[in-house]
Amino acid sequence: MSHNASLKPVGDSVPKIDNELAVGEDLDFQRRWWRFEKVVWGAFLVIIICDLVGLFGRGWLARAEVSTPDKAFSVEYEWIERANTSSTMTLRFGTAAIRDGKVDVYVSDSVVQDLGAEQIMPQPLMSVVGQGGNVYRFPANGGTASVRIKLQPVTPGIHVFRVQSAGCVPVTARVYVLP
Amino acid sequence: MDTILRAVMGYFILLLVVRVLRRRAGSQMTLFEFVLIFLMGGVIILATVGPDRSVTNCTCAVIAVAALHRFVAWAKMRSARVGTIIDGTPLVIVRHCEWQTDVLRAMGIREEDIAAAARAHGITSLQDIDYAVLERNGRITVVRKARPMS
Amino acid sequence: MDPAIPAILRAVFGYLFLVLTVRVVGRRLGKQLTPFEFILIFYLGGLTLTGMVGIEASMVNAITQILTIALCHRGLSALRVRSSTAMKLLDGVPLILMETRGWRTDTLRRMMVQDDDVMNVAREQGIQDLSGIRIAVLEAFGQINVVPCAPQQQRQNP
Repeated sequence: MSHNASLKPVGDSVPKIDNELAVGEDLDFQRRWWRFEKVVWGAFLVIIICDLVGLFGRGWLARAEVSTPDKAFSVEYEWIERANTSSTMTLRFGTAAIRDGKVDVYVSDSVVQDLGAEQIMPQPLMSVVGQGGNVYRFPANGGTASVRIKLQPVTPGIHVFRVQSAGCVPVTARVYVLP
Repeated sequence: MDTILRAVMGYFILLLVVRVLRRRAGSQMTLFEFVLIFLMGGVIILATVGPDRSVTNCTCAVIAVAALHRFVAWAKMRSARVGTIIDGTPLVIVRHCEWQTDVLRAMGIREEDIAAAARAHGITSLQDIDYAVLERNGRITVVRKARPMS
Repeated sequence: MDPAIPAILRAVFGYLFLVLTVRVVGRRLGKQLTPFEFILIFYLGGLTLTGMVGIEASMVNAITQILTIALCHRGLSALRVRSSTAMKLLDGVPLILMETRGWRTDTLRRMMVQDDDVMNVAREQGIQDLSGIRIAVLEAFGQINVVPCAPQQQRQNP
């Protein structure tokens, strides 16, 4: 008993050109594909240019600054960041923010957790936890001062953070983390 | 979880990039092309696993890529359309001594490439070529004109 | 400089340097890659990518660097089509190893090809001995192509 179910007679299943050579060319598809390729290469170029400009983070466009209306306190940060890539958030204090030789600054939990704060430079003198974040105290001399926080976000997404220097209005901003 | 997502994304991006890159026509893969392919794969590897270099993470990524590849192979078998999109179609570049210049230009093939492919088929003169086909894997196959009966 | 720019520049440099290195290493004979050559592929590719990626661990960076390489490759490929000089520089030229008058000994020596290699390819085509070969060419990519003599012609040594 032979198994004819798995046998198929050889026919003209591969299309021919000129009725001669069985090539199986699909020129219509190929022409459409060439148009598609042009679009794709254009898109590649656009992506690279956007990247150079900083639209995907680590660039000029990604840098942002938000500050209190009286400019006593401001935060420099990157509003577009990449996952697993480190960046620096700089808190700048004007003379009005420094009282009694120290600076108290409240930093929301999202900075530590979502944005992955790894290091605070310089080390704070004291930290108080509560109210959805941490309050750090730094001794300060007067004049302008800055504190840097090294961030390394892990999870892509949109994260909102809030930072407030004692005596000033809080500043809030949004950070987009790309994968 | 995100490793698997990144593995899937990486697979399709590599597929797209390799598909739109023109193979150097008419030859087997050269050393440089192998290096280039490994380079691109390698860059994606580092991004796929991220900072988590554990066996668990990497094994999950391996399984995700293997399963995806198997799925794509099945899809190609089921649908000729998918096969053409992923692999491309053979293209006729010389037809009864007519050179299909638009195809040649679009695929970046020069006369020298066709001459080299012809030599591989034992043909020394371009006049003796009846058909030349650019196969899906980038090789050029050449069919010789039938010799007149003497 | 913002970090996104050096990442792309490293990708361009990595690609171009690889083109140069592989070109200078030279064409290799035969159709199959030897096991060592596979290791070499990993080695060269891996070293290049380690320097290229650096500390950037994001998918965004991987994509942009890969696209940069793709754009460079495409650019070089377009250059090759338009310019014969570019083609000769990038690929090399085919070289005749044996022709009707005899072996090109200089070419054989410089490209380190032996008559055995040529005969190997000839045998694959069913040619029995060296006198059945009309012309043997070392192609730019390293493959040796052998064209047999027409049945009536056999090689006559001068």
